[in-house]
Amino acid sequence: MTDRFVHISHLTKRFGDHTAVRNVSFEVPRGSTLALLGPSGCGKTTILRCLAGLETPDGGTIEIAGIPVFDSAQRIDLMPEKRELGIVFQSYAVWPHMTVAENVAFPLKVRGMGKAERLERASRMLDIVGLKGFEHRSATLVSGGQQQRIALARALVAEPRLVLFDEALSNLDAQLREQMRLELRLLQERLGFTAIYVTHDQAEAFGLADTVVLMNQGAIETMGPARDVFRRPATPFVARFFGLNVLEATLLGRIEGTPYVEVALGAHLTTRARAGSGLVASVGDPVLACIRKEHVRVEQAPMPDSYAGTIEAASFLGVAEEYIVKIDEIAIRATRPAAGFARGDSVHVGMSPDDWIVLQPGETA
Amino acid sequence: MNTGAQGRFLQRALPIAGVTIGVLLIAGPFLATIIRSLLVWDGDSVAIEAGNFLRLFGDPRFVSAALNTLIAGSCTTILALLLGFSLAWLVARTDMPGRSWLETANLVPFFLSPYVGAISWIYLLAPHGGLLPWLARTYLGVSLEWLDIYSMGGVIFVLTLFYTPYVYLFVIGPLRQMDAALEDAARVHGASFWYTLSHITLPLVMPALLSAGLIVFVTSAGLFDVPLALASPRGIRFMPTEIFSMVQYPSDLGRAAAFGIVVLTVTIVLTLLQRRFIANRRFDTVTGKGYRPRQIRLRTGGKIAALTLEAVYVGGGVILPLVALLMVSFSKLWTGRFLWRTATTGNFEYVLTKYDLTRTAITNSLFLALVGATWGVALAVLQSYYLTRGNPKRRALVDALLSLPLGIPGIILGLGFLILAIRTPLYSTLTIILIAYIARFFPFATRTVTAMFLAINPELEQSARSAGASWLQTMRLIVLPLLRPALIAAWLMLFVIFIRELGATILLYAQGTETISVAMVVLSERSSGYVAALAVVQLVMLLAAFAIMRLTRTSMSQG
Ligand SMILES: Nc1ncnc2c1ncn2[C@@H]1O[C@H](COP(=O)(O)OP(=O)(O)OP(=O)(O)O)[C@@H](O)[C@H]1O
Ligand SMILES: [Mg+2]
Repeated sequence: MTDRFVHISHLTKRFGDHTAVRNVSFEVPRGSTLALLGPSGCGKTTILRCLAGLETPDGGTIEIAGIPVFDSAQRIDLMPEKRELGIVFQSYAVWPHMTVAENVAFPLKVRGMGKAERLERASRMLDIVGLKGFEHRSATLVSGGQQQRIALARALVAEPRLVLFDEALSNLDAQLREQMRLELRLLQERLGFTAIYVTHDQAEAFGLADTVVLMNQGAIETMGPARDVFRRPATPFVARFFGLNVLEATLLGRIEGTPYVEVALGAHLTTRARAGSGLVASVGDPVLACIRKEHVRVEQAPMPDSYAGTIEAASFLGVAEEYIVKIDEIAIRATRPAAGFARGDSVHVGMSPDDWIVLQPGETA
Repeated sequence: MNTGAQGRFLQRALPIAGVTIGVLLIAGPFLATIIRSLLVWDGDSVAIEAGNFLRLFGDPRFVSAALNTLIAGSCTTILALLLGFSLAWLVARTDMPGRSWLETANLVPFFLSPYVGAISWIYLLAPHGGLLPWLARTYLGVSLEWLDIYSMGGVIFVLTLFYTPYVYLFVIGPLRQMDAALEDAARVHGASFWYTLSHITLPLVMPALLSAGLIVFVTSAGLFDVPLALASPRGIRFMPTEIFSMVQYPSDLGRAAAFGIVVLTVTIVLTLLQRRFIANRRFDTVTGKGYRPRQIRLRTGGKIAALTLEAVYVGGGVILPLVALLMVSFSKLWTGRFLWRTATTGNFEYVLTKYDLTRTAITNSLFLALVGATWGVALAVLQSYYLTRGNPKRRALVDALLSLPLGIPGIILGLGFLILAIRTPLYSTLTIILIAYIARFFPFATRTVTAMFLAINPELEQSARSAGASWLQTMRLIVLPLLRPALIAAWLMLFVIFIRELGATILLYAQGTETISVAMVVLSERSSGYVAALAVVQLVMLLAAFAIMRLTRTSMSQG
């Protein structure tokens, strides 16, 4: 209990008739990192803004460091400035009428720290984010990546115990983003803050977070340790969001004593597959069979558990190639190191029963 | 081949002609004023010397007029900035109830006549016979007799009501477009609401506030209407009224011209300073990314405060003056309260049908506004073409020259044209008034049209030319239709300004060329009922233009 740093429970936020956040609950342990992941418009930013006190939720409670900052029943709603957080916005929100140092020292200034001391601390923070010597520049005269670092330094300078990031890396180019991701992890270890990242980029979520919360239309679709969420998609929505092949299938039977089932895809393709959690379908019912693109092997020669197919389309992605392979009427996407197949080539497609996962079709599917 | 050469000639010559006319309209009265200020008559001989200036500076009336004008201008500027920013912020950034309606209501004073506003406030707050003191005494038992509208305070009050919309218009755009994350970041990092407002929001709109402040200062200080109504009756001197009295018999045009030069110098120096200062401090506060305009939720107390401020402003600037005006215009004899028993439409009948002066004035005003607005817009189109498509090296200079009249008081320009026309056949004609109007106000139209011109991709014209259209055809079939919204807006704005103009007209009118505003001044000695009826007639014209402007704007944004 003591290490539960952020606790959100039954959070609901409506805009007019539109419910942007629906009964959301999760907790974040002290010093750990949580990523709020989901497609555009699913309510990630709204949750973050509720946490920061920038929106007033319609129901639920929010607790930070054991202190209720919002409680709809008890009419508690702490002002944003009383919550002692740091925040980095997607637009950076670096103030153009201040110098770099003034931007970074702002949180210290409003806390009443003397000028010399706060500039000194701002300098140290700028040093940490790699902007040494930029103190007296006008904040508008630096590049996007540098503005992002200013925003980061500003969020961290007052040593808040919780830092919120709203799409903080998405405006950077790929290389810089990679670099910042690593630096952020190091910074977090060094400064020991708890972090919540909002992102719609799965690589970012997995690269940064211990726990991932995947949102769908305002509600939590699934959450858990980053690895589990990614490896074992819980629902068809999750599978689709992570880009798995999601194929309609029919349940042929369960294999007693094992976690496997037998499914049929189309007329000729039957396979054993793992049963996903919450699979309640009975024999003959429609289900969804999912497999990760990287787990679909495409070779010239036959191999175990393989089927004959034809390349329908091929696209070159640099290191890898992506294919759409047809096995009879079923189209499956596959990613593999460049092999040079072209449209119309006859190939063999291998898919191991352990890589298949069978899910219950839901309303969200 | 011949037509091709002709077309090319027109394409070059017409915009240059527009610019030349504009420059002449400004340079003419300007030079006339300078020259006249240096001429001193001694009997029949004329000398060029500084005598006018020496006599002016030695005159205690000049000192008190200049001082009063500075005080009124500064106070008005500060109050209008406070009020205009507050109202714009409430409308643009909060969930104040009724703000879509108030957004328009806040702009109404912009379209009304300050002279009429001042006389309405006389009806409301004159120490003897004012409506409000009577109401306060009768219903609240409070004495308001100490409130005297004929005072420096009264001038500042009425000026503030009329100049607040300038500030409002300048800052509402930046406030709307500002990335709300700039303020949110301050709140999350520990700043209170008020600290954020004063240290983040306010500095970010400071460039707009400074521009607005300068315009309000120079135009409010130069306004003739309000001091004439509220200060002259008590002998409180102001720059515009002082120049006016210098031109009256026994006139001293030399000294008036010297005064004019002093005012022109101050105005131009301030304008240039502002240009330099603003150029260095324009912030890009619109990031576009992750931006969502956010409304600040007011609590009950905040809502009450906001609506009170709106009530004071819209009440003081629109509703109370309107009510007082209607009451007086329907009263046989105004005694400070409205009596249904003696209500009459006689004032309107008299003003509209019986009295030659007012009938002529109405016709003259309509003629000046209709013809003047049309010429002004035509000039603006040609100038805007030059400013956006003409010689790039000269554009900046031409732009600076052509915007000079923006800050020049009407009475100073009127004086310049008076000096120019005084011994010519133009003297005491409607034509000279028309020319003065266009000279003083065409930059407003040019600004509006230029802004729209900038938004039109030149490729639209180029493709019409490639398709075989001549320059004139391209203008007629492509450019003018695209400019239409700006043309309508500019035309209506000039119409409104010309219908209520007083400062320039008062020096140029003669018997037979009175305008509505002049007729009100002339009649103000005689009957408040006639004045009020005339003011209502003028108001109807102004509000009609305002309504058309709003309607065309909504239909434009929908279409
Ligand atoms: N102030 C507001 N007024 C009305 N609707 C809003 C407001 N803020 C958010 N919404 C709506 O709530 C929903 C959730 O928005 P939110 O910004 O939280 O999504 P998001 O997950 O952050 O999306 P994105 O990835 O595009 O940033 C959206 O449908 C949005 O249109
Ligand atoms: Mg978002």
